Amino acid sequence: MTSLDAIRQIVEAARAADEAPIVASLGHPAYDLFAAGDRPANFYTWGSMGLASSVGLGLALARPELQVFVIDGDGSLLMNLGSLATIGWTRPANLVLVVLDNERYATTGGQATATAHGADLEAAARAMGVTSAATTRSEEALKSALRNTASTAGPCVIVAKVEGSMPTAKPPLDCVFIKQRFMAAIGCPEPSTAGGPA
Amino acid sequence: MVYVPDNPLSHVFRILRDDYRDVKTTIATREEEAFGIAAGLYLGGAKPTVMLQSSGLGNSLNALTSLLLPYQIPVLILISMRGDAGEWNAAQVPMGRAVAPICDAIGLPVSAAERPETTAEIVQLVGKTAFGTRLPGVCQLPRRLTVPARPQEARA
Repeated sequence: MTSLDAIRQIVEAARAADEAPIVASLGHPAYDLFAAGDRPANFYTWGSMGLASSVGLGLALARPELQVFVIDGDGSLLMNLGSLATIGWTRPANLVLVVLDNERYATTGGQATATAHGADLEAAARAMGVTSAATTRSEEALKSALRNTASTAGPCVIVAKVEGSMPTAKPPLDCVFIKQRFMAAIGCPEPSTAGGPA
Repeated sequence: MVYVPDNPLSHVFRILRDDYRDVKTTIATREEEAFGIAAGLYLGGAKPTVMLQSSGLGNSLNALTSLLLPYQIPVLILISMRGDAGEWNAAQVPMGRAVAPICDAIGLPVSAAERPETTAEIVQLVGKTAFGTRLPGVCQLPRRLTVPARPQEARA
């Protein structure tokens, strides 16, 4: 299963969850999310490596009625492991964090990450109090794990072991466009800034 | 409000938690994470505040410069100052001195509370400007306001 295959499954799960929002980590996860299916409820990050899970956590806390999907990478999550502790503590029932674990810093040239040498992100999530954590090694297993999130109280962490693949497309570069389209899609259009003193 | 604990502001956190139930508080493990959570809160329609100590600004720069600023995600940022007048810890001084120049360098408007009786007003104004202009805004809370001048407590 390539990361693109995995992301297609995540997009399908989000669509099935009432067009749920997806927050994607920068680089390959964001590029592949765009390739798999651009939609207004996709939030593509262009920077802030490591923070996709934190953005997803904030969104899940603000909007408990929405299922929130996050597509992270192993290298990114390793940069912000404390996020698992905060997720394990705050326990948002509506957060699904999928870590595409290719055991590489794929966007920067394929250098090995710690997961290539035994670091276990599912175990890290469990150790931080995320009881619904799984590692999948096939498309079918990922599909099944994603299906389970619909009926499981989260937070859910799925570590999807994937093969790297070269992205074929990139999302829009306009960060403000991405944000405003996203906020409108999830039912809270950004408030206008107009209306100062005449 | 997302925060990383800071002793001079610990009473603020306590009062928010106990007396202002409409303000939801979350503790982050580090300041950069706090800004990520705050960005997600804003995307979900909330008006987030991040409280941090000046030392944590260094931990936050990538979040500020590559998420909040380019996406125009406003956050009210309250920085409890260390390293300014009254400081006893040399390890706090370099970042304390650098807070305003760093904010200026990355394009973050920065204000400072001056007196206890005007602090609420300036904090409100910084927040109003931040959310009105979609630009994160910093209000510095100087150490002489947050820590009593008595020597035994100033070492907290």
